Amino acid sequence: MSALRAASLRHLLRHPAQLALALVGLTLGVGTIVAVDIATASARRAFELSLAAVNGPATHQITGGPQGIDEALYVRLRTHPLKTADAAVALAPVVQGYLTAGGRVMQLIGIDPFASAELQDAGEGAPALALHGADEARDWFTKPGSVIMSAATADALGIGPTGEVELTIGGVKHPAILIVRLADAGPGFDGLILTDIVQAQEWLGSVGRLSRIDLRLPQGASGAALLRRLAALLPQDLEVQSTRASARETFAMTDAFTTNLKAMSLLALLVGMFLIYGAVSFAVLQRRTLIGVLRALGATRGEVLGIVLSEAAVLGIVGACCGVLLGLAIGRALVGLVSQTINDLYFVVAVNEVSVPAGVLIKAGCAGLATALAAALLPALEVAASTPQLSLARSVLERRSLRLARALIGVSALLALGAALTVAASSRSLLAGFAALFMLLLSVAALTPACLHALAQVLARVSATVSPVARLAFADVAASLSRTGVAVAALGMALTAMIGVAVMVESFRESLREWLVQTMRADVYVSAPGVTDSLERRLDPEVIRSLLGVPGVRGHSEARRVTVGSARGPVELDAVRLLPESYAGFVLTQGDAARAWPQFLNGAVLISEPLAWRLGLAPRGTLALTTAAGPRAFTVSGVYREYGNERGEVLMDLTTYRRLWHDEGIAALGLYLAPGVEPAATVSALRAAVRGRQALLIRSSGEIRALSMRIFERTFVITRVLYWLAAGVAAVGLLSALLAWELTRSRELALLRTLGLTPRSTALLVMAQTTFMGLAALLAAIPAGLLTALVLTEVINRRAFGWQIQLHLSVTQFSHALWLALAAALAAAAYPAWRSARLPLASGLREE
Amino acid sequence: MLKIEGLAKSFREGDRAHRVLEGLDVQVGAGQTVAIMGRSGSGKSTLLNLISGIDRADRGSVRIEGLEVSALGEPARTLFRRAHIGFVYQFFNLIPTLDVAENVRLVLELNGLRGAPARARSLAALAAVGLAERAHSAIDQLSGGEQQRVAIARALVHGPKLLLADEPTGNLDEQTAREVLPLMLSLAHERGATLLIVTHDEALAARADRVLELRDGRLSERRAMAPRA
Repeated sequence: MSALRAASLRHLLRHPAQLALALVGLTLGVGTIVAVDIATASARRAFELSLAAVNGPATHQITGGPQGIDEALYVRLRTHPLKTADAAVALAPVVQGYLTAGGRVMQLIGIDPFASAELQDAGEGAPALALHGADEARDWFTKPGSVIMSAATADALGIGPTGEVELTIGGVKHPAILIVRLADAGPGFDGLILTDIVQAQEWLGSVGRLSRIDLRLPQGASGAALLRRLAALLPQDLEVQSTRASARETFAMTDAFTTNLKAMSLLALLVGMFLIYGAVSFAVLQRRTLIGVLRALGATRGEVLGIVLSEAAVLGIVGACCGVLLGLAIGRALVGLVSQTINDLYFVVAVNEVSVPAGVLIKAGCAGLATALAAALLPALEVAASTPQLSLARSVLERRSLRLARALIGVSALLALGAALTVAASSRSLLAGFAALFMLLLSVAALTPACLHALAQVLARVSATVSPVARLAFADVAASLSRTGVAVAALGMALTAMIGVAVMVESFRESLREWLVQTMRADVYVSAPGVTDSLERRLDPEVIRSLLGVPGVRGHSEARRVTVGSARGPVELDAVRLLPESYAGFVLTQGDAARAWPQFLNGAVLISEPLAWRLGLAPRGTLALTTAAGPRAFTVSGVYREYGNERGEVLMDLTTYRRLWHDEGIAALGLYLAPGVEPAATVSALRAAVRGRQALLIRSSGEIRALSMRIFERTFVITRVLYWLAAGVAAVGLLSALLAWELTRSRELALLRTLGLTPRSTALLVMAQTTFMGLAALLAAIPAGLLTALVLTEVINRRAFGWQIQLHLSVTQFSHALWLALAAALAAAAYPAWRSARLPLASGLREE
Repeated sequence: MLKIEGLAKSFREGDRAHRVLEGLDVQVGAGQTVAIMGRSGSGKSTLLNLISGIDRADRGSVRIEGLEVSALGEPARTLFRRAHIGFVYQFFNLIPTLDVAENVRLVLELNGLRGAPARARSLAALAAVGLAERAHSAIDQLSGGEQQRVAIARALVHGPKLLLADEPTGNLDEQTAREVLPLMLSLAHERGATLLIVTHDEALAARADRVLELRDGRLSERRAMAPRA
């Protein structure tokens, strides 16, 4: 190794604590990114595997509306097969629904094993199902309730040797028997139960109907020709779509959610960048004389730049490696949270395996390296460009820092202006929204050093009248801006993000709470259990009659929720019959209620805010939905506030829905009780009325509100985890920067001790300084945090989900930031305070 | 060997400009030993920085062996400095993270000489200052006198034409200074290097060929001696 490199490397190794703290920041930053990437990639992989398991080698699928597909179509397609001279369409019917087994929501797939085998023979993909022997095939067709699942799923459900298992579908319990455990099924089969198609139709209450028909079309021109002929044959309410496009469409639902997560992880890395900047600039500062000697001996600017940047590169590579290891550990924990959120909000997916794509690791490595190099560039350029004075006066350095801090005021203004222009120039882009948010955060960071200097100077002047030591405490902070400014800027930025997220979450929570109170007009709600828009969620008509006969029930509303096709992809449709008092539960944010509701009863639809935003619709616009008779345009009569479904939904009168979709099912009831009737007592009476017939969810509106709030909190757990990680990085940053600064002041503190300052006063002096810096960061973060909250609610949330959220402010939103600022400041002070109080004065005076 | 004409340099202190050198002229012949004396703050170290190209003059020129160093751009000045100039400082300015031999070898490596030849040459330089046996010692294990001898070895290892010494005995006790100084003078003389020494030390100045005094930004000849044989 060359002497030049050896000098650089040994300096790093001689300051292990400093090196470790810099690495901690980068490790946490990279680790957070890796963790989020792993969690989302695992969820995506599990989703793809599950689709592959369900679809097998199908290239396309025929899908229908809520009522599915008449199986007569399948018979027709089989008896009159579509083929060209050299290719034919292979097809297999599928009935799909959801069930609950052992407390887990799982997918039920009903297949025709012969047709599925044929489809597999036609393709090269993974087999959807293999019946291994004659006994299994016999059981499949002769034993009622025969199911197949992966050995891992069977073990998770605790199914014993008899194979008996109870499945709950739409609140009705069905006995089933496991005839095959697929030992080598792979993770795609996690959360899947396979049965014969006839059995599935019976359980799901869709006899004679299919959920979809899987197709395998040849590639190339013959496939395209067959597809065109097939599409021409289909009734108007059916469509044929490629399985890949369908999967893409489904997973695209989570785009806004994953973008939010990635932005939060990026924040952690950005804060980490400040940490590296602090560490590198301190390392440069420490070696200013040494670098001056090297320059005097003939090291060129390029060589000095190379030394500093290669140190940063080493830091970046080591930090990225540690970050990847940490990310793998955190990622495993986050997978549960991410899949829980996806299950709560989007679709059912069982994530049992952690997927680590190589791209994630490469990206993390590059992010770590690039962050370290970017952070080191400024101090490296500064030291390489400066005249090689051997003992550059500290005051000269600080004057430079002050000049830089003042110049950064202009940069801050430009960044703020850039953020405002970005928001103004982009009306819908979520990425532009995040870009504006990051510009805002950087603007705060750029402004902080100058504000810190001004504040410290003012306080130094004011405190001079009280005590010279107090003056010294503040004046030192102002005079050491090269060290203190960066630390406070990094902490200020993290606190800003923290306050912004806290205000946004709290505002969202309050808006949701108010919305729930406003919306839930009925006293008791009854629904069939299962996935919200699944067809099998149907209340038995006899059960409905029994429920409505319970004393105290004076009226009811009815609802059916399904997913229907539209020219803009599938949309959720909520068909309702409302009582007159229910209308007040809907707050129209666009449209006139006096006109909207009569139009609604005459066949128009209302749409929720997220859907209006997503599809760019407004009152008097039209939305084409695929009814049983084909596509039909519906007039939008109004837009209503809705926080329950971020993909948005269409509200339609139940009579209109039944007329156009021929679906008489009811999935939920809202029961209105007579005055003076206790909901809790009525809930017991309702449960007693349906006991043994259908397991239903019967809950008072208060219980549903509490449940909704619990789901809300669960949804934001991951956000909180990430923001605490970012805050942790910032705290470590402040800790390392202040620790380093205080340690370089050993001689000054020893001098003060010599002049008569007691050890206690010295410790207090150090603590006062770090506390002041923590509070200064908080002071900068409060207005900036409020502005961030405004961007998060008005720009990010609006663009991601279409929600309008009212800002709600409370003291508690700021308390986390306050505690973090104080904890970081006091932790940073503890060791230097202890050290300076105990340092032998003679050696302290010798230290530089 | 060294020719300085009309050299001027001032520094800004707030709104005030502090003129350190004002039209300084001097010529030094090859192999001469010249002591530069003057009061603290008179600009002696600034003059060395301008000669070596560490700093840039406001006006005037510095020529070393006919090459106008002051007219060179930054990279060229650095390359010239590392090839042709050696430094000895008051506070030694050794790299604490390198051992004795590595400190000496560093200059050779900067000049492109690496590996065994560089090691051999640095050991020879250390042997010349009597520290061959301390080649692998850490810097902080050396006494002040030893550290300055390492600095002298480092300054001369690459055979510079010009050796600049800024208060070389200023941080040494009298006894040690008496040991180190003759070593530096004799080694510079042996290698034919021109030696410029900034010093307050009259005893040191007494051993120089010429003594120049820096006052009011200009150099004046205090005493010229016949070159030593």
